[in-house]
Amino acid sequence: MTAPDPGSLLHPVAGCADLVPRHVVKARLLGQDLAVWRADDDFVNVWADRCIHRGVRLTVAANDGAELVCPYHGWRYSNRSGNCAYMPAHPSDAPPRRLRVPTFRSEERYGLIWSGGSPEAEPPRLPHLEGEDTLVLRALPVNAPPDLALQGLLEWPCQPVPAPGDGASISCDSAGPFAVAVTARTGGTEEAVVHFVQPVDGGRCVIRPVMRGAPAADRRLSILRHHARQLEELRTRLESSAGSPVAVRGPSTPLQPLRRPTATAVSGRAPQLEVCVARKWLTAEGIAAFELAPVSGQLPSFQPGAHVDVHLPNGLVRQYSLTNGPGLTSVYRLGVKLEPDSRGGSRCMHVSVHEGDRLQLSEPHNNFPLRRDAARTVLIAGGIGVTPLLAMAQTLQRQELAYELHYFAQSDDHLAFGEVLEPLSTGLVKHLGLSPDQTADEIKKITHDYGTASHLYVCGPGPMIEATRAIAADSGWPEDAVHFEYFKNESELHDASSFEVRLARTGQTLVVGPGVSLLDSLRDAGVDMPSSCEQGVCGTCMATVLEGELDHQDVFFNDSERAAGDRILTCVSRAGGHKIVLDL
Amino acid sequence: MIRLYDYLLSVNCYKQRLLLSILDVPYERVDIDFYPGWEHKGAEFRKINPLGHIPVIDDDGYVLWDAHAILVYLACKYDPSGSWYPTSDPQRLGEVASWMLFAEGTTNTASAARLHVNLGYDFDLEACQAGAHRLFRVLDEHLWFREQQGQAWVASGESPTIADIALFGDVALSEDGGISRLDYPALRRWTERVQRLPGFIDMPGIFPVAKAPA
Repeated sequence: MTAPDPGSLLHPVAGCADLVPRHVVKARLLGQDLAVWRADDDFVNVWADRCIHRGVRLTVAANDGAELVCPYHGWRYSNRSGNCAYMPAHPSDAPPRRLRVPTFRSEERYGLIWSGGSPEAEPPRLPHLEGEDTLVLRALPVNAPPDLALQGLLEWPCQPVPAPGDGASISCDSAGPFAVAVTARTGGTEEAVVHFVQPVDGGRCVIRPVMRGAPAADRRLSILRHHARQLEELRTRLESSAGSPVAVRGPSTPLQPLRRPTATAVSGRAPQLEVCVARKWLTAEGIAAFELAPVSGQLPSFQPGAHVDVHLPNGLVRQYSLTNGPGLTSVYRLGVKLEPDSRGGSRCMHVSVHEGDRLQLSEPHNNFPLRRDAARTVLIAGGIGVTPLLAMAQTLQRQELAYELHYFAQSDDHLAFGEVLEPLSTGLVKHLGLSPDQTADEIKKITHDYGTASHLYVCGPGPMIEATRAIAADSGWPEDAVHFEYFKNESELHDASSFEVRLARTGQTLVVGPGVSLLDSLRDAGVDMPSSCEQGVCGTCMATVLEGELDHQDVFFNDSERAAGDRILTCVSRAGGHKIVLDL
Repeated sequence: MIRLYDYLLSVNCYKQRLLLSILDVPYERVDIDFYPGWEHKGAEFRKINPLGHIPVIDDDGYVLWDAHAILVYLACKYDPSGSWYPTSDPQRLGEVASWMLFAEGTTNTASAARLHVNLGYDFDLEACQAGAHRLFRVLDEHLWFREQQGQAWVASGESPTIADIALFGDVALSEDGGISRLDYPALRRWTERVQRLPGFIDMPGIFPVAKAPA
């Protein structure tokens, strides 16, 4: 029988008890250095021990319960996905999705964390340990090849418990390619310990013993000590003979990080994720909350301010902001307000989507990124506009950065996600039942004293965003300090014009006729353009403009960005004159 | 006021700064040009400490050298709770003394390796590294069994002692001397516990840890 390739198996890399809260365990498997850490939601991450930025070991990073923070330049990496969540040197940008630490599998069994590169393998199941409690004994690193340790364990009658009596019969048996089971029988009792051997690299291993049964508290310590002494003796033998010629089964294949299924081409609005409605509830008057869990694998991580496109059962596509704080990575949590004049999106979510239903989503897009380097961060939410700001407030709270969340709503009954608002109490200011004029007065008070490095984020009904931008501008807030996200484009769209578009890179020239969008014309010409809202709100379909006057019809750009005229949202905006040149 | 003859990158000096910070005792630093100036080996400094070692403290005219001796003095004099050097508990005091002597070993191996690599000393690097690994194996096992008994610190009891301070720097900076802590998970957890003590300060080479969960 040929020995299985060690790279195709799962091996233990740590004891579950090693993963204490907010700690990063240093491990090594088949020559691959690993950073192993448990997040506050109990998910165990097994990552390559390298920051992808400058190669610093992530075992010196800080585990904040939801992210690892590299001590060199503060890059933050998300629980589960390993995606870079924030780069302090680029505070106003959402990090590209491809920035990701290589991740490996993690499974828990018999009190150990198991990992490896194979997507199919399972941790071993051994009759010696099944169906009973187990006690993880002290693991011992050995400077000897794994093969030598396995051979040594087979020849070493390592009695599981102290003084089992003279009549004890002890047997050592191989229990799979990387384990040796020791069984001691005396009279009617039988004790069993399985020694798993973790192949660290060609010349080193860790012996990880697990004992069957949970001994009484008064025997526990003496068993641990007894066994540790015996293993210590074995180690001395192994290390003194490690220089002798032994068939070394080193890592024949280096450990391969998990490959995530590559996302489908980001063309158009094709869905990329399948999720299941894990929970739906009424979180406030007229506001339904949804928790969407992945049907398989992990959800892509995202930054505060991000939204997803939801492909509804009725064929419509709608954008909803993710309200998740940094610790919540197992589901996407959305809030949807039932609009009285619903065009079919919110009504469908409220009436036709139920718990257990499957939905298709895009990957998260973030066109409303949050800076984490501001001296003052002011979040202004109008009604359901609170959703992206909830994600922001929770992020700032977790990092202990000061913020104010001003939440304007009709009444207490209209405040969504009370359970999330509760722990935010220090930063939260509620403004209830105000008229538009009273709201404007409040916003004046909030924004009256602009200071350097202050940033304002506003999301809510269109008129409220307009008012806030105008008030902030009057109070001296520069445009680049005022960030906003509209739900929808309420302006009247004009598409009667006809114009010519030259694509500088391909050399093509297109004609966009009346009633046809620039985006559609580009797609017809074979250009792969991503898009999301397709109404000039989200910014996903942006193109760079090299020449030509523009007729901006979006609500994404601020006035100076419009005046610069170097970018266009292709879904709604058009040429102002007869011709534009795009960098495509 | 206490005057500490100090060098930022010296682990033995850092041990004093760490305890003084934890005990919240004010002091003034006298910077010694340890590397590359070798000021501590010069004739001037040998008038203060004929051994040519830092740290040295001068507490209103009372001069004391030897890092671990200074820790004993500072804890006895400036810790009114008596918990850092438990003179009222003979057993714990014995353990503290034992681990302080053990810390001489980590200083002469782990920290010596670091001095060789970073600060121009000429030691037998391999011997220093091998010696440090021998001691770290013992300390890791000791701390693992401490954890099994629900205890967090090097000496028994509920609170840390100067034995933890004496060992911390040698362990936490070992990788500078090429001594990996891969094989010492209990040691790595203990260094994090020390880093979370109120009043903890770091030195270059020690990375901040996340706060303990609420």
